[in-house]
Amino acid sequence: MLTRIHPVVKLAVCTVWLVAAVLVFAASFQIATIAIAVVLLVAIERRPPLFVLALMVPFALFGIGMLTTTALFREEADFALRVAAEAPFGSAAVSAGVVLFLRAIACGMVSAVFVLTTDPAGLVKALMAQCRLSPRVGYALFSAMLLVPDLAAEAQQIRLARAMRSSRPPRRVPGPFETASLVVPLLAFAIRRAGRAAISMETRGLAQGAPRTILGAPVPSRRDAVFAASAMLLLAALVQAA
Amino acid sequence: MTCAPSAPEAAAPASWRAVTVRYPFRGADAVGPVTLAVRPGERVLLLGPTGSGKSSLLNALTGIVPGIVPAEIGGDVLLMGEAASNRPPSGWSAEAARLFQDADQTLCGMRVGDEIAFALENRALPEPEILRRIEVAMRRAGLVDAMRDRRTATLSGGEKQLVALAAALAQETPLFIADEPTAHLAPLAAARFRAVLDADTGSRAFIVVDHRIDDLAGCFDRVVVVGANGGIAADGPPRTVFRERFADLRALGVAMPAAADLDACLRDAGVAPSVPPLTVSEALETLDPAPAALGAVRAFLRGRVASPAERPGETVARLENAACAPLFGPVVLRGVDLAVRAGEAVAILGPNGAGKTTLTASLAGLLRLKSGRRHGALGGVAFQNPETQFIGGSVIEEIRQSLNGKHIRTKDRNAAADAAQQILAHWGLSTLSAAHPYELSQGQKRRLALVSLTATDRWPLLVLDEPTAGLDAAGARMVAEAVDGFRAARRAVAVVTHDLDFALMTCPRAVIVADGGIIADGPTAELLADAALLARAGLAAPPVMQALSWLERHTQC
Repeated sequence: MLTRIHPVVKLAVCTVWLVAAVLVFAASFQIATIAIAVVLLVAIERRPPLFVLALMVPFALFGIGMLTTTALFREEADFALRVAAEAPFGSAAVSAGVVLFLRAIACGMVSAVFVLTTDPAGLVKALMAQCRLSPRVGYALFSAMLLVPDLAAEAQQIRLARAMRSSRPPRRVPGPFETASLVVPLLAFAIRRAGRAAISMETRGLAQGAPRTILGAPVPSRRDAVFAASAMLLLAALVQAA
Repeated sequence: MTCAPSAPEAAAPASWRAVTVRYPFRGADAVGPVTLAVRPGERVLLLGPTGSGKSSLLNALTGIVPGIVPAEIGGDVLLMGEAASNRPPSGWSAEAARLFQDADQTLCGMRVGDEIAFALENRALPEPEILRRIEVAMRRAGLVDAMRDRRTATLSGGEKQLVALAAALAQETPLFIADEPTAHLAPLAAARFRAVLDADTGSRAFIVVDHRIDDLAGCFDRVVVVGANGGIAADGPPRTVFRERFADLRALGVAMPAAADLDACLRDAGVAPSVPPLTVSEALETLDPAPAALGAVRAFLRGRVASPAERPGETVARLENAACAPLFGPVVLRGVDLAVRAGEAVAILGPNGAGKTTLTASLAGLLRLKSGRRHGALGGVAFQNPETQFIGGSVIEEIRQSLNGKHIRTKDRNAAADAAQQILAHWGLSTLSAAHPYELSQGQKRRLALVSLTATDRWPLLVLDEPTAGLDAAGARMVAEAVDGFRAARRAVAVVTHDLDFALMTCPRAVIVADGGIIADGPTAELLADAALLARAGLAAPPVMQALSWLERHTQC
């Protein structure tokens, strides 16, 4: 269902929700946000529960860092301690840390909901059509998205070429020195590739300021208004309850 | 030599009048002076040795040079009768469509439909017209409608090239320019491009630069050859140019269809057809199998079908029941059993995306197997993208590093420098020794990558991945001679290629990769004569096979 919502409307709702998650320092609000995101992904978007759980892992690791930092260096977190003093997680420091931990997951899950239910091409087209995003910037974004897998493939080729010179197969995961040494050649590759893409786009008529058709750009509908209004009402209720 | 247009100049889709192109900090012109006009509806094949400036001429036509790439242009470049410099490059998209060599580097739409629509959206055409053009262009390029919503990142190399072709066709411009459109295409995809040329009999003019022209030569009205000095070396109908200027073009190292070589042999024997042939089948269809003709066909085939090694060498590398996968990727080939011996050259053939590169990297020991075993020493690989290999700041430094590694003893430096210069001279790269490897043309980069790999005898197994892509005939001949040299030096060679003539010429044995494994392994000539096998693998027999089977048929008689 969420995939059919206009990308710009969805982006706006998710942005407002992220701002709320940052400003509302209450565990209940963060838990509710996580729960809503999980329900949307599992029940409505039919994503496997294990996949959704796995999505939380990196955000949880980040959150654990915040939790331990807050607990160990509580003198530095005066504001958070005062806000979390009434939270039901033992000491104020631990309460503040738990809220920060939950907030990391909540923000991550709101972002995941957006990314997993939004077609990047639709988003960029909608931004060009409704938000006057310059086509040059829009198509540069397209090219950048296409560049990512090619950069990975190029990195693997460079690693193989180096492995050949050193007469041993490359390690499955490159070490820090090898990774650092890939930066310059990959940057050179990206620059050359971007130059060629720019030439291709220009010869196909992409010009600054010229009127152009945008084929298949998502059009806002009443459904989007209902979605936005419902989301804002729910958010207001959760903020009030927190 | 120059060519004056017979039609009024204002109507010429493209014309160059005494045009020269000189890039900054270069002492000489990259091309020119060139005077040339292309008439409406004319199909022109633009040939020339690597680095002769063909791409510079095309870039000047659409304003890429000097609009985007700085250069000094002399003379007049006219597009549809108007000076190319009057508009920015983007202003010509309604007049000239350009198909670039590497589709991968030019895609800018997320989905196939977006990619084809891009130029039309930029012209602000109405949506129904864009949708109509997308449908027509996809059909002409052989793309099924279900592909319209596929993300271009998920397409194979050949499919991407067909999408780029559809995008250029959709522009419906009076001039269509293609720069090596078949360089990275499997034969069946290349045949699609030929079908497009054949079917387009309207007023649209075509200018095509390519080095693989066996299947395309018959599609053109005119061949124009840019010489090594940057001027026009030959200009005329293909049949006339390839017969009458055969010796000159061969000396220039320009790609010619195999039929031109066969025609030369038949002329030497006094049995040539009255009309110069453009395909091998044309040359053979009326040929009387008299002894003189048999001798001429034998002479044509001499050196075009590789002979097996006189004594089979020891196994250099072997894969045993191997499951091969790219780094971080899933298994693409299973149950692979493959051994290569010293003095042997094996062609690795198959459609785009079949896993040929993964197979050879596994054979060379650069990729760890998911299961199965590998035996033998590590191999050296000349990668498909030659830039991947370069580590030196100049051409000469690249060779020196290959010869000696990074830690050269002081007293050996002069000797290494001399050896490097000799190698560069042998491969025709001496004049470029101070240039940065990235500044070279695609063909020159490929040669440099090959030289740097083979400068030492460090690797008993050499893998050459698409070694002839972007090379002119002289460059391809040089690579073929190099492969013969490696075999004579008892090194094993695996050649991944779409150029089946090259495979037949250099590799007595071939392996065909398709359907997630090796589907055939045997003598190259036998495999390429098996029509059912080739169809299964999406390949098409090279023209030389027609001469081979003609000879076998008439010798048996």
